[in-house]
Amino acid sequence: MFPFTRFRVEDESMRPTLEPGDYVLVNRWAYRFQSPKRGDLVVVRDPEALDRFLVKRVSDATGPTEVRLAGDNRIASRDSRAFGPVPLERIVGKVWIRLKR
Amino acid sequence: MSLLYSLARALDRVSPAPIAHAHCDIPCGIYDPHHAQLAAHTVVRMVDLINQLEKPGPNATAEQRQEYTNKLTRYIATKEQHSEIAKSELRILWADYFKPDHLKTFPELHDTMWKALKTASKARQEINLQAAEDLLKATNDVALMFWKTKGFETITAKAPYPTERQTVYPKFK
Repeated sequence: MFPFTRFRVEDESMRPTLEPGDYVLVNRWAYRFQSPKRGDLVVVRDPEALDRFLVKRVSDATGPTEVRLAGDNRIASRDSRAFGPVPLERIVGKVWIRLKR
Repeated sequence: MSLLYSLARALDRVSPAPIAHAHCDIPCGIYDPHHAQLAAHTVVRMVDLINQLEKPGPNATAEQRQEYTNKLTRYIATKEQHSEIAKSELRILWADYFKPDHLKTFPELHDTMWKALKTASKARQEINLQAAEDLLKATNDVALMFWKTKGFETITAKAPYPTERQTVYPKFK
């Protein structure tokens, strides 16, 4: 499996870091030998709709098997405050490069 | 606009990039079907109380008639209010919580919601135990779908209220 994959960003919960229309290149192998860290930008499968992807920031990585996620735009984000911690296997990968519009 | 951005956009024409949602949803995703279920229980209870209420006979005193009217009015007012609460809570779940994605899992979602709201109106308009029971069942059906979307199993158990009707509860881990 090729390690890098790209996603197009929609919606506004990661403003100002990511704007709708930006692209992110995601490293799917980033967490093979190390765990996610607080502050990492990650793409995960939406815990409430597994065929959908979310891009969020890791807000707490103290759990060994799960992380908590938050949007940078706190007042307009559905994240771990709504759906709780996310198991590590739901993480697609770490955002490696942001391509701004 | 960077070269890489233009490249990514050009690639989209060949094979579109999947979408990563930075999803936004004010207010903060706090939803629960329990309010609707509780309101439906109240409607059932009010119909039960109305039906149990002893009607004043031809020889009843003015005080007895007054007491009867007072109780009946209070039960009806509460039934009105709580059928409206049930409708309001169902509408919030329908319009704000459930998303097009959920329709893939529950194609019957719109029909269930629409019928639930109509049943709530009927329970409000009439003193009709069947309509009240149907409303409770409809809120239970919605609760089943809701908790499934949240990844929780449910149990159906007798409610610990005087109505004692079967009610859907989540099994929290």
